[in-house]
Amino acid sequence: MIELNNVSKIYDIGEVKVNALDGVSFTCEKGEMISIMGHSGSGKSTMMNILGCLDRPTHGSYRLDGHDVARLNDDELAAIRNKKLGFVFQSYNLLPKITAVANVELPLVYAGKNHRREKAMAALKAVSIDKRAYHLPQEMSGGEKQRVAIARALINDPLVILADEPTGNLDTATSQSIMNLFTELNNQGITIIIVTHEEDIAAYTKRTIVVRDGKIVEDKRR
Amino acid sequence: MSIWESLKTAWQSIFANKMRSALTMLGMVIGVCAVVLLVALGQGFQTDMTQTFNDMGASALYVSQSTSKEVTVMRPLTMEDAEALNDRTLAPSISVVSPTRQTRATAQYGNNNASVTVMGVTPTIVEIRNYQVDQGRFITDQDVTARTSVAVLGYQTAQDLFGTESPVGKTLRVSGARFQIVGTLQKMGGIGGDSYVLIPLTTMQSRLTGGDEIQQIAVKAASPDLVDAVITEIASIMRARHYIAPGASDDFQITDMREILASMQTTLATFSIFMGAVGAISLLVGGIGIMNIMLVSVTERTREIGIRKAIGARRRDILIQFLIEAAVISMTGGLIGLGLAVLGASLLGNINMGGATVTPEISATIVIVALAVSIGTGLISGTYPAFRAARLDPIESLRHE
Repeated sequence: MIELNNVSKIYDIGEVKVNALDGVSFTCEKGEMISIMGHSGSGKSTMMNILGCLDRPTHGSYRLDGHDVARLNDDELAAIRNKKLGFVFQSYNLLPKITAVANVELPLVYAGKNHRREKAMAALKAVSIDKRAYHLPQEMSGGEKQRVAIARALINDPLVILADEPTGNLDTATSQSIMNLFTELNNQGITIIIVTHEEDIAAYTKRTIVVRDGKIVEDKRR
Repeated sequence: MSIWESLKTAWQSIFANKMRSALTMLGMVIGVCAVVLLVALGQGFQTDMTQTFNDMGASALYVSQSTSKEVTVMRPLTMEDAEALNDRTLAPSISVVSPTRQTRATAQYGNNNASVTVMGVTPTIVEIRNYQVDQGRFITDQDVTARTSVAVLGYQTAQDLFGTESPVGKTLRVSGARFQIVGTLQKMGGIGGDSYVLIPLTTMQSRLTGGDEIQQIAVKAASPDLVDAVITEIASIMRARHYIAPGASDDFQITDMREILASMQTTLATFSIFMGAVGAISLLVGGIGIMNIMLVSVTERTREIGIRKAIGARRRDILIQFLIEAAVISMTGGLIGLGLAVLGASLLGNINMGGATVTPEISATIVIVALAVSIGTGLISGTYPAFRAARLDPIESLRHE
C-alpha cells in the first residue's frame, strides 16, 4: 500500500547539499502499525514529510495506494492528504479560534462532504472525547487536544494515520492512554505510522524502522 | 470548499479579531462615507441651482443694454421698446414681455430699516418669475397706468421690517417716498434671496429714478422651440427702433439664461467629480489599510494556513479564503460608511448653506457604485496577501510559531 523505492531527498542550502534521505526503501501493508525511530537530524522528519505528501522526493519513487506521488502537483497532493492521510502532530495543530468539533469537521469541508456535524461527533465519540466537542482547544488538556486531533485524522477514513511525536508534549500516563488509543484503532484495522525517538513509545508497535544519517539502519518486527 | 463555507470562515476570522477588523473597516467607512456624501452634496447643489434658476425665470430671454466697448452710440432701453416687442404682428413668437428697472435703496417702517432691492415691475413679471402672493394682492395693470404708490414686499423684507405684524395696508418709506403696502410674497429661497420691494415700473420712473429708461426686458417665447425665432424677432425690432445701420453692432444684448444655467451645471459637474476624486483618495488609503492588515494577518496565521494545507486545503481554497475575508471586511466597512452618509445627508439637509438650503441627494447609482467600489477595493487589496498565503509551503508553515 505504501511503497518507498530508493527515495532520496536533497536540500540545497546555498553551496552545501544536504542528503536528508539517502536511498530509503520500505513497504507498509494495510493494517500495520509501524514506528520510525531516529535522533534529531536523522532524516525521520523528512521521511514523515514525504510519507505525508507534504514534500516530494528528489529521487526515487513513492507509491501510495497506486499513485506515484512524485509526479503529482500541489493541488493533487492536497487532495491525497485530504482523502487518504490523517495527521497527528506533537503540538496538536488544532485551529485555536474554533471548537473541537469544528476542527474535526475541517477536512470534510475541504473534501466537500455533507452531514459534517454528525460525522465529526461520531469521530469524537470513537476517541472518547465527544463530551468536549463544543470547547475551544485552549480549554482542553494536552491529552484531550491530542484526542481531538486523532478524531480529525480519522474523519475522512484515511488509508494511514501519520503521527509525528504524538506523545512528545504529554506526561507518561497520558502518553500511555494515547498509545493505547492508537493500538485500539490499529486493532480495528487502521494503518498507523508513528515517528518517535522514545523506545517505550516504539514498544507499542509491531515493527520499528530505525533511521540514521538518512538511511534505514534497522527494520525489526516483534 | 464552497463560497458559502469561505464566507463563514471569513466571518469567524473577522469576529475572532474584532478590534483589528473594526480598525481596518474604519478606512473603508470613512472613504465610502466621504465619497457618497460629497457626490450627494454636489448633486443636491446642482438640483438646487437648477430650481433657483427656474424660479428666477431661466426659461426667459433677457434684453439689456450692450456691454460691448465697440458700440459708439448707445440708446437706452425704453418702455416703447418693450411695447414694440409686445406687438404680436411684429413679434409673433413672443408671448410675454416684462420690462423692469431696479435700484438699491433703504426701506423704512417705523424704527426699522432694511437695505433692499427696489424693482419697478409690471404684472407680467409673475409669468417670468414664480412669485407667489402670500398676503394681499400683486401689482395690477391699473397700478402701472395710474402710477399708484403701492408696494409688494418680498418675504425677507416683510420679516425684517414687520416681524409678526401684517404689512398689508401699512405705509412704507423708500428713499423718502411713501408707498402703501398691498401685498407680500411667499418665501422663494435660493440665491435670489427674498429681500426686495416691488413697485409699479411707472411709479418708479416718476417718483424714484426719473426718466423713462428701463434696464431689462424679459421676454418669453410662446413655446420652447420658438426661442431661436424670438431672438431673430427681438434683434430685428430693436435694430429698427435704435436706427442701427446694416453691418453695425447691436447696442443691446440678448441673454439666454439657459446657456448660463448649462455652463453653471457643467462647472458643478466638474466640482462633483473633484469631490468624488477627494473621496476616492480616501478609499485608496482605506484599501492600502486593508492590504496592510491582510499581510499582517497572513504572517500571523501562517501556522493556521499550514494546518489547513496539511489537512487538504488547496492553493485555491486558501486564496479564496483570504480574498473573501478582505472583501467582507471592505464591504462591511462600505455598508457602514453608506449608512453614515445617509444619516449625514439627512442631518445636512436641514442646515442652511450660505442662504440656500441644499438637500444632498443619495441616488441608487451612488449606492450601487459605492458598494461595488468597496467590494472591489477589498478584492484588489486582498489579492497580493491572498497569493502570499496560498503559496506558503505547508512544511515551513507548520513549523512557524
